[in-house]
Amino acid sequence: MVNQGPIAEFAMSQPVSSAPVVQTQSLAKTFHVDGKSVVALESVDLTINPGEFISFVGPSGCGKSTLLNMIAGLLPKTSGQVLIHGQPVAEPSKRVGFMFQAPVLLPWRTVENNVLMPAEVFGLKVNDIRDKARAVLKTVGLGDFINAYPRQLSGGMQQRVALARVLTYEPEVLLMDEPFGALDEFTREAMNLELLRITRAANITVLFVTHNITEAVFMSDRVVVMTPRPGKVSGIIDVPLPRPREIELMHQPMFTDLTFQVRSILGGTHGGH
Amino acid sequence: MAVTDTIDAASVVPRTEAQIQRRYRLISVAITVVILGLWEIVPALGLVNPIILPQFSKVVWALGTLVIQDFFLQHFTVTLTEILLGFVLGTAIGLALGIALAVWPAVKQVTYPFVVGFQAIPKIVFAPLFIAWFGFDQTSKVVMAIVIAFFPVLINTMVGLESVPQDAKKLMRSLRATPLQTFWKVSLPHALPIIFAGVKAALTFAVIGAIVGEFVGASEGLGYLLDLYNNQLQIDRVFAVIVVLAAIGALGYFLLEWLDRKLIFWREDENR
Repeated sequence: MVNQGPIAEFAMSQPVSSAPVVQTQSLAKTFHVDGKSVVALESVDLTINPGEFISFVGPSGCGKSTLLNMIAGLLPKTSGQVLIHGQPVAEPSKRVGFMFQAPVLLPWRTVENNVLMPAEVFGLKVNDIRDKARAVLKTVGLGDFINAYPRQLSGGMQQRVALARVLTYEPEVLLMDEPFGALDEFTREAMNLELLRITRAANITVLFVTHNITEAVFMSDRVVVMTPRPGKVSGIIDVPLPRPREIELMHQPMFTDLTFQVRSILGGTHGGH
Repeated sequence: MAVTDTIDAASVVPRTEAQIQRRYRLISVAITVVILGLWEIVPALGLVNPIILPQFSKVVWALGTLVIQDFFLQHFTVTLTEILLGFVLGTAIGLALGIALAVWPAVKQVTYPFVVGFQAIPKIVFAPLFIAWFGFDQTSKVVMAIVIAFFPVLINTMVGLESVPQDAKKLMRSLRATPLQTFWKVSLPHALPIIFAGVKAALTFAVIGAIVGEFVGASEGLGYLLDLYNNQLQIDRVFAVIVVLAAIGALGYFLLEWLDRKLIFWREDENR
């Protein structure tokens, strides 16, 4: 419950409603490579509620990144619909934040100016955002590094800057494509806990792509299990574990059960082809 | 015994970066002194005809007597103007074309074969043509300097802008940045170190362009003087002019190097 001031504050600005935030209806993607059609994703129907933490887990080629990119409006869909608050998505929106596996910081900007970059792009007055940017940087533990340059930071700290950058513009939905996948095990665990703390406090809806089953179960309200060739949703597992989640949770029989369920769905299709 | 101990102890102490740098500089100075010394001694001993290679001191003397004369200053100004105009205009043209080729794929598709074909031509062959087209005075030399200088800037600008990481472009798309915002905030700063390498090359090429232009046909300028003194077998003065041209090139290069380090501060650590 430390340092939650600014985050809790912008949690208030999120619309409180039980209507779904994100919906996909028969969403599909086919790529055309060298005259051949490759089905990257078969018809996906999902309904995601406000404040939910959803993980997408599956091996490479299961279409989880494709799905995330289409929800973000970064990749054109072949058929179907993506709805955010009931509105069809055609292009990226300020209400949806995207975080990559790489921090993607601009090396010529200080930490603070990296965090302020989106505000510049949105045409906002940077000085109005500066206080909030600093508060968010403090929340992610970078209060003392606002004037540092990215090359002076470790990989984990750089990814914290990326998190601060996206949180500062208060997206309702946070799309994360293996955001901590490039970090070492210990840093990743710490980052996961921090992400949970911040997004649960601010009631931000998170769509989190990973290929780590344990991580997916630990973080999520629901785990969407995906399988490749062609990419599709093979099952959705509810995770009714209490929050806030602590690392000790991983030793409980229910946790082990849930990871086993995910694993069996993934394994069940492996022999099929 | 005591003396050897002290020496051993001193040699074991690790050298600091500054000490190593100083040592390297000392070696450079030593090499320079040896070369200049040979240059002084070899013609004096008659090993080389002093008409072909005048002693170093003669060159220094020629340089000293040349640079204080008004006519030399005029020739110097003429060539310096040609170099600077060729460099600035060549850089501007290279930058503009490089941006156009990188930003509009259609422009690249259509013009790139011409660009490559043009680069395949040794551009010195244009020098007589430019004199026929633009006359005997400075214009033809400036055009020559531009034509040689713009190319490295064009290529480096294009390559630099095209090497912007996909992730950075995707980030800007996720923020709905306009193409202009992406260009100014991401692409151009990213390309700047590569562009600057091209700009440094452009300066050297502008010097070559101006001098070659003057060689082919001119009535003024350092290239003209060089040709004149060479025909008159005033080799000491030939060397003096070469020293002045080298000084122009070196000074310009160091200025650009300094600007590079100021402008692209975030690259510094990688170089070390």
